[in-house]
Amino acid sequence: MIEVSHLSKKYGEHQAISDLNFTIQKGEVVGFLGPNGAGKSTTMKIITGFMAPSGGEAKICGFDVFENPIEVKKRIGYLPETPPLYADMLVEDYLKYVAQLKLVPKDKIKSYVASALKKTQLTEVKNRLIQNLSKGFKQRVGIAQALVSRPEVLILDEPTVGLDPKQVSEIRDLIRDLRGDHTIILSTHILPEVQVTCDKVIIIHEGKIVAQETIDQIEKMNQDFVLLTVKTKRSSSIELQLKNIEGVSHVEVVSSQHYRVKLIEQDNVIEKIASEVIKSGSGLMELSPSRANLEDVFLKLTYGQNKVEV
Amino acid sequence: MNAALVIFKKELAGFFKSPLFYFLSFMMTILLSILFSISLDKFAQTSSNAMLQFGMQPQLLNIHYSVFLPHLSIINLIFIFLIPALTMKLISEEKKLRTFDLLLTSPVSSASIVMGKYFAALSVILALIIVSFIYPFVSRRVFEFSWLPTLVAALGIFLVAAVYTSMNLFASSLTENSLVAFVLSIVFNLSVWFVGAANESFDEPLLKAVLEHISLNNHLAGLIEGTIRTSGLIFFFSLIFLFCFITERVIESSRWRA
Repeated sequence: MIEVSHLSKKYGEHQAISDLNFTIQKGEVVGFLGPNGAGKSTTMKIITGFMAPSGGEAKICGFDVFENPIEVKKRIGYLPETPPLYADMLVEDYLKYVAQLKLVPKDKIKSYVASALKKTQLTEVKNRLIQNLSKGFKQRVGIAQALVSRPEVLILDEPTVGLDPKQVSEIRDLIRDLRGDHTIILSTHILPEVQVTCDKVIIIHEGKIVAQETIDQIEKMNQDFVLLTVKTKRSSSIELQLKNIEGVSHVEVVSSQHYRVKLIEQDNVIEKIASEVIKSGSGLMELSPSRANLEDVFLKLTYGQNKVEV
Repeated sequence: MNAALVIFKKELAGFFKSPLFYFLSFMMTILLSILFSISLDKFAQTSSNAMLQFGMQPQLLNIHYSVFLPHLSIINLIFIFLIPALTMKLISEEKKLRTFDLLLTSPVSSASIVMGKYFAALSVILALIIVSFIYPFVSRRVFEFSWLPTLVAALGIFLVAAVYTSMNLFASSLTENSLVAFVLSIVFNLSVWFVGAANESFDEPLLKAVLEHISLNNHLAGLIEGTIRTSGLIFFFSLIFLFCFITERVIESSRWRA
């Protein structure tokens, strides 16, 4: 559906993205993650045919975005960082205009607009001027604008920015509903969003792909670094005993009743630690493993000093 | 082509919904009303005692020359400033509000964008010219005259306005700031008249001939007199095409320029 190979873009001297390679299958929802300035928006702009790459190629449904932009643009809906809204138009008229621009057949425009309004819950404000809407509503009009032509590929650049928590979860539900019919790429730096909505994550850092996995794989990625919090009722000095257990790589003493243990292996080690603490007679209060989540992986991949092998 | 029509309709509706357009047309009609009635009154006086004025140029006794041509030249003068005000936002505002992204990611060619916007602006200007034609039309009730020369002269003004529109659309495509587009447009509109003036200050025959040929004034003069020359029409159409074409190039360039 979307094939990107050796894609790179330079802004003058600045290398925004370099040598990106990925493919996205039909119906997948893919999250683009990365810190600010990592090249997410640049990549999206290139995929939409809005901007030409400096090198490499991107294909959507088999059409090269640079060689055959019109064919590509028929098949995509794009929500840029700033929603492209005409302040002096009514919401409904605006969506009609977009549908016409996207070459939706005349007899279908009405129903497409109505369903886009419904999906983004804008039906109540359809007869209001866009300039009088609040930021959240404007963002939703932006999403409606991307949806209205029912494109095969949806590209959403930070779709939930500026929305309140209820709307955010509505938009996430919406994206989940759209899964299957549409191929969706969304960029964000809100991690739970990716966890909830996406099948696959592409993490970009400094213009390069640092990870490209399914959500499950990413979460598994550093399970060998489980962090175990141990709390005891009475003061104890079990640091040494804990260190001697096979599989424990590091013990941090927070206080005499509170330890943080870093494990290499999982199940057996935790059991051994538990029995060790009980044996010491200090009274086990808490034993909680904190699994590495997407956030840790993300932080390690982007801000960490390349400690983790990917 | 379909997309050009969509953009055309949207822009045309935009013009007629904007208060700026009504304000500008209001100012224009006020100005024209005052000036037209003054010159018509003057003409009526001169022609009523024409017998007394032997040494007078015969042209002054012709309503076409003494009333309608000044009327059209005032329209031209107004257009130099009014067309920039109408067209300044056509592209620059889209760039500023990022709605340009929508156009560039829609299956619309740059040529359709330019054509849609250009013809929308041109239709508005045609409407203004038609409105300003009410004045000669009304004077028909008082004076007998031949329509054709006036119509041809109006065609001349329309063509000049079409040239302004294409240049001003180009100016609008160059910047994100509509004020800059406005000022630049006025500079363009004024400068076409200076090309003709530069003609006077050179002696070299070849240069003189070239300047004479590219002078808008020269080509307009024929139309004003009531004669349509193909060389003049070709000149106007090629100017319009040239500026629309480079506007299209500017829009297209935003696809590959960083």
